[in-house]
Amino acid sequence: MTRYTDTQLDALRELANIGSGTASTALSGMLGKSVDISVPNAFVLPMAEAVGSIGDPESDSTGVVLGIVGEMPGSVLLLFTPKDAELMCGLLGVEAGSEYGISALMEIGNIVGASYINALGQMIGMELEPTPPAAATDMLGAIVQSVLAERAGAGDVALLLDSDLVVEGEDCSVSFLLVPDQGGVEQMLERLGV
Amino acid sequence: MGELATSAVAGDVLVSLGLGSCIGLALLDRRLGVAGLAHVVLPSSGGNAPLGSWKFADYAVPELVDRVVKLGARRPMLEAVLVGGASMFAVSKSSLEVGQRNEAAVRELLREQHINVIAKETGGSRGRTIRVYVGSNKVTVKEAGGTEKPLIAGASVVAA
Repeated sequence: MTRYTDTQLDALRELANIGSGTASTALSGMLGKSVDISVPNAFVLPMAEAVGSIGDPESDSTGVVLGIVGEMPGSVLLLFTPKDAELMCGLLGVEAGSEYGISALMEIGNIVGASYINALGQMIGMELEPTPPAAATDMLGAIVQSVLAERAGAGDVALLLDSDLVVEGEDCSVSFLLVPDQGGVEQMLERLGV
Repeated sequence: MGELATSAVAGDVLVSLGLGSCIGLALLDRRLGVAGLAHVVLPSSGGNAPLGSWKFADYAVPELVDRVVKLGARRPMLEAVLVGGASMFAVSKSSLEVGQRNEAAVRELLREQHINVIAKETGGSRGRTIRVYVGSNKVTVKEAGGTEKPLIAGASVVAA
């Protein structure tokens, strides 16, 4: 099993921090509200435990996923609880669960995810491009597992950089995960020099 | 993800929560009340994964067969139930392939072992949970926001 030092995990958290900072600015501009970010977590976990660390696998969730293509392939996954999806959609004036609601969440995913990916690419000096978003409303476990399955390849561990964006005064947040393809973590650490 | 579990103890429940593109493969010897459950993540290891990489169908299926046989199941009596293999993100072509390829790989490996699939709920775009009730041989599936429904009704067979 791959292990990372505390220094390396700190560096990865810092990457997530700057990425989510940029993403929060993008979300703030879209919603017209100020958006705070939580301190990101960096987990390196056996795949068997990765899903459970995020939440109850059977809980309802809406996931918006963007692929990352370029020098470091991977995925960014945004997760909304039903309550957060409803509040976010409300802020944009559409009804959650409707076609417009899903489309609004995908647009949030697109803007937040793409700015996160761009910030990440600039920090590590790599050409990274987002692919268009796709959305699913289902069990949390099914959503996260499908992204991990697609990305983890031969590896037995998953790196999850977990950040929360919190919309001020609305008590609603979106959490998101960066899941690099196998080997992507090493590439990032190498570029960061740790 | 990528785990195997087996039991011959009546009352035990084997479960894989929230399967998306993954496959939950249950193997049962219904007469003896022996059951196993594998959580298959990817269809093939490409032949160079370390031992114990049970997330790959080509490693997990033979291993699960061995483990239930070691627990007393009789190889010719084994039957399989498949759940999962969905494509959660309709737009994403590659995830669609993972679910379908997982199911195809598991089915092919079961064919090689001469094990029949007696029930399944696979494909589509919904996540699912599988539960295997050891002893009673009941196998259920549940979708998000849905209720648990039996794939195999089971019977009150007491483990020998």
